[in-house]
This record gives sequence, C-alpha cells and structure tokens, in this order.
Amino acid sequence: MQIFLPIADVPVDLFVLLILGAAVGFLSGVFGIGGGFLMTPLLIFLGIPAAVAVATEANQIAASSFSGVLAHLKRRAVDFKMGNILVVGGLLGSAVGVEIFRIITSYGQIELFVSLCYILFLGSIGTLMFLESLSTIQKARKPQNILKHRKKHNWIHGLPLKTRFKSSNLYISAIPPVVIGFFIGILASIMGVGGGFILIPAMIYILGMPTKVVIGTSLYQIMFITAFTTFMHATQNKTVDLLLALILIIGGVLGAQLGARVSVKLKAEEIRILLAIIVLLVCLKLALDLIIMPTDLFSITYSARS
Amino acid sequence: MRMIITGIIFSFLMPSFCFGSVISNIDKSKIELSTRFDGTSLLVFGAISPRDDRASLLVEVVGPPTTVNIRKKVQIWGIWVNKKIAQFQGIPSFYQISISNPKNPILEEIEYQRLKSVFYDFLETTSISENYNATEQYHNELIRLKTELGNLSSFKEKINIIDNKLFSYKVNLPKKIYPGVYKIKMTLIDQEGLELSKSEQNVNVSKVGLQEFLSSNSKNNPVFYGLFSVIIALFLGFFAAQLFRWLYR
Repeated sequence: MQIFLPIADVPVDLFVLLILGAAVGFLSGVFGIGGGFLMTPLLIFLGIPAAVAVATEANQIAASSFSGVLAHLKRRAVDFKMGNILVVGGLLGSAVGVEIFRIITSYGQIELFVSLCYILFLGSIGTLMFLESLSTIQKARKPQNILKHRKKHNWIHGLPLKTRFKSSNLYISAIPPVVIGFFIGILASIMGVGGGFILIPAMIYILGMPTKVVIGTSLYQIMFITAFTTFMHATQNKTVDLLLALILIIGGVLGAQLGARVSVKLKAEEIRILLAIIVLLVCLKLALDLIIMPTDLFSITYSARS
Repeated sequence: MRMIITGIIFSFLMPSFCFGSVISNIDKSKIELSTRFDGTSLLVFGAISPRDDRASLLVEVVGPPTTVNIRKKVQIWGIWVNKKIAQFQGIPSFYQISISNPKNPILEEIEYQRLKSVFYDFLETTSISENYNATEQYHNELIRLKTELGNLSSFKEKINIIDNKLFSYKVNLPKKIYPGVYKIKMTLIDQEGLELSKSEQNVNVSKVGLQEFLSSNSKNNPVFYGLFSVIIALFLGFFAAQLFRWLYR
C-alpha cells in the first residue's frame, strides 16, 4: 500500500516501512542496541532524503528509549544525577550539531556529510564488533580464566569539580560526563542515532560506572537528547516527518519485543557476528554509492515553496 | 500600417465567429492530496468549431510554478560530490502538451515555440557557476530529468476528436504532484500555427487531512510541530511500555 510522506515528500510502501521497522526493532531487541545506526542508512536507501531520515530517526528513538527507561526505572537502575549531568552536555552538543547540520544543508552537501559520518562509524564499529566476536568464540572453544582488572584510578580522578554519584558509587569530576554527553548530543543530531554504542562503553571504561546502572542511565540521557534533537530539527531544518516516525515506532516496538524474547534462546556471541556483517554491508553499500560513477550525473531538487 | 490595424481588428473578431471557436469543461475542478494519493486522472472535453479541417487543437496542462535546482556531480578524491548548481525559477511543476493532429507539418515548430515560452521566457536563472553555454546545458538536463520523472510530456498523449467537432482528453497526473492551480489551456490553431480561439479551465490541487496538517504545521508552526512530534513519540513509548507490561504480567 502506497502512502505519501508529507515532509520527506516521497511515496513509499507502508508495508516495506513496517517490516523494516520491525526488522531493525528485532535486531535491537536481540542485541540490546538502539538500531538508529542501521535504520537511518536503510531509510536513505529507500529514497528518503538524508536530512529527513536523520531527524525522523531521532524522533523514533525518543519513543523507544522512553519505553526502555520506564522498564529500568522499575528496577531502580537509573543514576539520575549522572544522567542529568550527561543531559546537560548532550543538550549543548545537540544544539551545536543541529547548527552544523543546518550550515551543511545550506551548502547542499548534507547527503554526502551524513554518508561520510556513517561510513566512518559503521566501518569502525562493524570491524571492532567482528573482531571481538571472533576472539570471544575462540576463547569459548579454549576455556581460559583471565581476570580483567578494571583500573580503579585513572586520569579522570585528577580533574576538578568532583562530586558524588550515589547510585553509581562514584566520586569523580563532573567534567568527563559533560564532555561525553556533549559528544553524544552531536552524534544524535547529525546521525540520527541514540549513541548507545559509544555512550555505554564510555560509561563503563572512562567513568567506571557499575554495569547495573549503565543501560538505564544511558537510555535516560538518550531519551532527553533525542527528544530535544527532534525539536531542534523540527524548528531549524523542518525535516521531522511525523508520519514516517509513527510507522517506524509501531514496527520497531513490535520487532523489539519479539527480539527480546527470542534473544534468550540464541547464542548471542555467534549471532553478534551476523550483526557485525550487516553493519559492514550497510557501510560498504554507502561507500560504493559514493565511489561508483552515478548513472546520472545530474539531479533535480525543488527549493522550498513559499 | 494599414495591415497592422486590419490585423488588430481581425484578431478581435477572430475568436467568436469568423475563424472557429472552442468551448470546454473538465470532470473535476479540485484534486485532494491525501497521504493515500496515488496519482489520478482528469478528463477534459468540449467542442470545437473549426472553419476547415486544417485547423488543429492544442491542449496544454500547466502546473504551478516551482523553483528548481539542477545539480551536477563531479569526482573529488575518488568520491562523487554534488558540485555545480543551477537554479531556475518559475518552472511549471507539471507540463503536458498534445495536439489533435500529430501529422501537422509544423509540429516541431509549435513544440519549440511552446516549450520555449513555458520554460525559457519566464525563466530566471538565479545562480549558476559557469558561463552561458552551461546554462543551455543545464536547461537541457532540466527538460530531460522532468521528462523522466513524468512531469513533462510533449505530443505523447492523444486527443480524441469526434467528427471534427467534439473532443475529449485524459490527463494522467503522477503520484508526486505539487499543490496549486493547474491550468488547462485549449487553443485552436490554423495550419500556420496562428491562434484562432482559446479556452481555459483551472483545477485546484491541495493537500488535505493528515497530509495538510503535518506539512503546513511543519512549515508554519515549527515550534508547535516539534513539540507535538516529541509528545506523540513519548506517549507512544509510554503506551508501548504499559501495553507489554500488561501483556506479559
């Protein structure tokens, strides 16, 4: 069934979008990822303008992360103080990112910019994920007991503005969370991702937060940042397609529930390689689209009608 | 001088009775663009009373004017980048022309004149990074791309003529059309291409329902639209969490 997206200004098939939303939702349920970094490029492949794909994906993540936060609140797995400091940095980052986005759009290069960011991120994340899964599988075959020592003291502890985070049982400077939050805000606004794949490792390895509060706290920050990013894109760039977001939210919620239930029965490490391969394929497709000579060198776009 | 005056007098007398006339109507005067819009068609019909059978009927469909950018990709460091841009203003979003007598000996001349008047005469090239020859080239690309998109067709569609008196003509509009006034112009011309009589119909194309609500608020009330998008998303997130908690109690 064809529907016409009001802001993206393109006709798309409703079922294709629902299935895409459900498929990415399923993967996010299985792997505990947000899925924005897969959904945005897939929307671009469907012919949706990159600027609309990014802004609309932020809107979808606002919905899915809110749904996730509610589940973690029940388990008291959210460090609100840490979350709020991350949000402060994130709001600043998001505002800066949306402004960068607006400037690049005015030069007519936003499609290229988004593609290049994705090639960089998907390429490095896909490679890391692939190598890590390989080594985990190898370790599982040859059982070894290697205890990993997490550094209790690093350069983070030398910074000023120290404060206590009760839920995380930490006494560290507020500067690193603000900086991390800022970086995530920029990522959310220029790539349409939640940024969990950067935020979660940063919380564990840089801030040294205990894993039990990490996911809830990251969802808490992502919810605020993507909600704010949606608002900023809507007011600055007018690129949020609410109809598209609604379809993706519905597909995504159903897929994620199914994925979460299936994941219990799957060997996560072995299918993680599958995710790594999907990520690398999407990255490859984006790269090829830039490298292969286009069949038509000329393209037509319409300026905003008054 | 005397010839010019005679010409002017004749041109006033011409349409009504001397050389022929055309009257017309359409099957709908408005088209609503909803989110389910999947293209539509219009039927134009009417009567002509040509003085002789050498006269031809021209039908033109002209969509609302748009500002169009033509971009050209160039290779920089191995990647293809949109580099050169030409912007054209006042380009009809949709243009279709047909003639009742496709074997007209001066068809090419008519086509050239009409396309020139529609795409060149009101044309304002606001920005282009190269010289005049490039403008010409970009303009040819504009015509080609619009033809490929189904927004431009010249002498492809047939006008049905019955007994050299009645005519009917079907206009197929594509999925992606711009809102605004679409003008349907019927012109009776003689064998030299001179206008004998004219008739014009307007079709109003507008967005309706959700399509209208979302696109107009996004443009005109971005603050409301942004807040609305966020609230809807958060509500759906909340609803989903409650729903699945209830389902898997």
